[in-house]
Amino acid sequence: MKPLKILLLPYMAAVIVGAFLWPAPAQGFIGESSRIVFFHVPCAWTSALAFLVAAAYSVAYLARRKPVHDDIAAGAVRLGLLFAVLALVTGALFAKIMWGAYWNWDPRESSFLLLIFLYAAYLFLRAAVEDPERRARMSAAYALFAAVLMPFLFFVAPRVTSSLHPQTVINPQGKILMDGPTKAVFFGALIAFSWLFVWMLGLEARAARLSRRDRAEGSI
Amino acid sequence: MTRSGDARAFQEASPAASRLPPSGPIGRAWAICAKDAAQELRRRIAIASIFFFAATAVTLVSFGIGPFGLPAEARDRVCSALLWIILFFCAATGLPRAFVREEETGTAYALRKVAPASLTLAGKTLFNYLLFLAIAAVTVPAFSILLEWRVGSPGALAALLVLAGYGLSVVSTFLAALVARASQKNVLFVVISFPLLLPLLLSAIVATVEAAGGSMPSTPLRVIVAYDGAATCAGYLLASAAWED
Repeated sequence: MKPLKILLLPYMAAVIVGAFLWPAPAQGFIGESSRIVFFHVPCAWTSALAFLVAAAYSVAYLARRKPVHDDIAAGAVRLGLLFAVLALVTGALFAKIMWGAYWNWDPRESSFLLLIFLYAAYLFLRAAVEDPERRARMSAAYALFAAVLMPFLFFVAPRVTSSLHPQTVINPQGKILMDGPTKAVFFGALIAFSWLFVWMLGLEARAARLSRRDRAEGSI
Repeated sequence: MTRSGDARAFQEASPAASRLPPSGPIGRAWAICAKDAAQELRRRIAIASIFFFAATAVTLVSFGIGPFGLPAEARDRVCSALLWIILFFCAATGLPRAFVREEETGTAYALRKVAPASLTLAGKTLFNYLLFLAIAAVTVPAFSILLEWRVGSPGALAALLVLAGYGLSVVSTFLAALVARASQKNVLFVVISFPLLLPLLLSAIVATVEAAGGSMPSTPLRVIVAYDGAATCAGYLLASAAWED
């Protein structure tokens, strides 16, 4: 964990500096607003990654019933909530600049709001059950059920109705519509945020393990 | 004599034995559905509360908007959204009762012993589905009459209610199994069901608008069918995780 943390700091700093100084602002956007793509999209990507990690560890928990898998799944959901909120806030800032309103019920905006509801619902479910094994099992079942239905939220709902959202990186043409420097900083930011997520998840898992050990020893 | 021969002979000898539990998964799921229906019809508290809720909601909407309170161009969209809000909250009021009642009456343990989780979920989903269809059969015509809302394609709306109602029942029943032994059940159910049901409800609203306009809503119906299939598979695979002790 320590080398991970030490290398992450300069790498993230380089990405942030690069995002503001290297690529030119993209065409078709007001002023420098296009630079938000280096923060908004990685936050969105990380929140989706967090949910996939939570689903994977939920499968692992149901298969093996090891508490550490439940700890990681719950930690991933908490972090996913954080990154989803950041994605929503950065998206709202962009929407204000481009379309004059922080929120306009754009389908893609709304999908992220619902992802936040989903994360919050998972945490609400965990808070409502006292028994640790039952809590872990129910959370895992809910996370996996939601994982199956989530594609309808992310990929179907925004396409059933029209959207103001700019064309995404994953688009029907299958082309990445970015120049070289923009592409370099963008993918660098994706790696940086994913790395940040992995590091924070490691901290969450360690904290949960220590808490469980303290409870078992009767300290708490 | 074979085991099935023994059973047949026993059944013929004793009238009471004609009530032996059915064999086969469909028969057992149907038996669970029939048990729930018999229980609800005996007491009628849950069914009455759902219908009263629906009646209250439709009355309030009718009082607030009235048959001529909406401009013609907005009528279909507003009525479609209001109808599905009413149906969702009717479902949220009544469908979780399927498992909560088992915990309250202390029969959950026995149910876990007599049937595997997937069959229990299937039986209760079937009951909830029939309950939803009954609610819709009363609520939708009342809504349409009180708001003077003419649906251009009633057949499309009926198909939509059948398909979306199934998805609503599957997801609601699964989540009811999850919350049955949690605290704050009612609030918890609404909180955890809303994000999962939203894609279904959004598609249902879009489909209702199209059906009201007289066209067949093929795209949203395909989304709903896909959603129903995904929810059914997920519910079947995760049934034991949701319902086990």
